[in-house]
Amino acid sequence: MGGLSASALLKQEPYLVIDHVSKHFEQKKQRLNVLEDINFSMNKGEILCIVGASGCGKSTLLRAISGLDSDHGGQILIGGNEVVAPSKSRGIVFQEHRLFPWLTVEQNVGYVLTGISKEEKKKLVQEYVELVGLKGFEKAYPKELSGGMSQRAGIARALVNKPEVLLLDEPFGALDAFTKIALQKELKRIQRKSGTTMVMVTHDIEEAVFLADHIIVLDSKPGRIKLEVNVDLPVPRDRNSYEFLQVKKRIYEEFFEDEKIPEDFSI
Amino acid sequence: MVSKAFRSTGYFIEYLALIFSIISVWTIMSNQGHLNTIILPAPNSILETIVELVADGALFTNMFISVSRVLQGYFLAAFLGISLGILIGLSKHLDRVTELIIQMIKPIPPIAWIPLVILWFGIGESGKVFLIFLGGFFTILINVVDGIHQTDPKLVEVSRSMETPFWKHISLMVIPGAAPNIFTGLRTGLSSCWMCVVAAELVSSTTGLGYLIMDARQFGQTDVVIVGMLTIGIVGKIMDSLLRFAEKKTLRWI
Ligand SMILES: Nc1ncnc2c1ncn2[C@@H]1O[C@H](COP(=O)(O)OP(=O)(O)OP(=O)(O)O)[C@@H](O)[C@H]1O
Ligand SMILES: [Mg+2]
Repeated sequence: MGGLSASALLKQEPYLVIDHVSKHFEQKKQRLNVLEDINFSMNKGEILCIVGASGCGKSTLLRAISGLDSDHGGQILIGGNEVVAPSKSRGIVFQEHRLFPWLTVEQNVGYVLTGISKEEKKKLVQEYVELVGLKGFEKAYPKELSGGMSQRAGIARALVNKPEVLLLDEPFGALDAFTKIALQKELKRIQRKSGTTMVMVTHDIEEAVFLADHIIVLDSKPGRIKLEVNVDLPVPRDRNSYEFLQVKKRIYEEFFEDEKIPEDFSI
Repeated sequence: MVSKAFRSTGYFIEYLALIFSIISVWTIMSNQGHLNTIILPAPNSILETIVELVADGALFTNMFISVSRVLQGYFLAAFLGISLGILIGLSKHLDRVTELIIQMIKPIPPIAWIPLVILWFGIGESGKVFLIFLGGFFTILINVVDGIHQTDPKLVEVSRSMETPFWKHISLMVIPGAAPNIFTGLRTGLSSCWMCVVAAELVSSTTGLGYLIMDARQFGQTDVVIVGMLTIGIVGKIMDSLLRFAEKKTLRWI
């Protein structure tokens, strides 16, 4: 394994490689092709956003990258090593918050931490609880939180371990616009500070353009990459700048091809 | 506050209403001579017997002996039921291997075990504890296994994705996830164990509530039999209430 990653570094290979990944489900002897020949790669410390219609296989792809589902075609490489099982170096924010109902917010957030002292753990948990704005709710059980608060606790849980790769499945779906924008900025800040590689599923095109270095648009049935966009805008990004809106529009039109206005994009 | 106290008094009266009416009817029937005192003694003579049995210490001594036997058998059943239940619940393989034998042994009532238990353990304490153990073990085991099978697989996946160490996974994920079912098992298990105490004390015992009842039967002391039965009922209810309380305290998150 060590040799593999060293040679990968020598060849300057991308950090995360999705190589001919495909996935199907068998249901009642019916074969459902969910992902077909997915290929992309990204460098360490980049953010990739996946957008696509509901049911097109975004969560399925994220599960494959996380290693939770290794029963797929093709290969996924991170740092030159094939992903075959989950690892705590990959943090996951699930689409449903998936907090343990029997643990308080701070216990949920601290669950992943092992092998550090009590004080260190407490300090880290406190830092991330505050980061997602849940100060004062450390001792609350998930049933006492709103949907958006649970989602934020789930985000803190994934961040607290400082993972090398962060996988986020619509992490801001249940949040109000203000909290959402604040957390988007926070995520971008964390990524620039820590160099975390992030793969994020979102329904929000503006969010994708704000955060991502690369955006891929997935087609549904079967899920294929329909469009790949590199977002080369300077950071911090101005959501109202002309360039920003251009990228947004380009992706938007991918979803609503019929509404394409011909005079745009004749660069 | 006043109305709340008032309301709970109201509940309390309702709670006792049926018992109170039964005792009233019973007293009236006895006083009018409708009941043969050998078959069913009057409430006041039962009360006298209670006072007598409490005064000479027979009631509480036997009660404590029975309770301590039940607790021994029960803790053994709970410990083995929970640990084996976790193993079986986590391993599909073990589940398949053990399923048939568990389902075959479970329906055998503890009383049917008595001859074997005497052969294996003799007539000492251990045989009685074993019978009580049998009474609760399978109920607890099966509930624990069910609880683990019913745990949300999405949550198990979260723990797995964090590469949680084995014991942490067991104590912070598996056991709390199955906790509601574990408590159901612990409660039904306790009442089964307690119900077994009479059967266990049939095994040539000279102490315990079961002995008290069987001994009184031989001398035709129906009142003592009834006091013994009532004690079993009341202690059983108290133990169940204590467990319910512990359950409520423990499952705060629900
Ligand atoms: N375990 C499974 N068994 C069978 N089919 C599945 C399973 N998981 C997902 N699917 C199917 O795969 C397809 C893609 O599901 P997936 O959850 O990846 O969609 P998604 O893009 O994340 O959608 P959404 O935006 O609504 O979350 C769906 O058609 C779904 O029915
Ligand atoms: Mg999804």
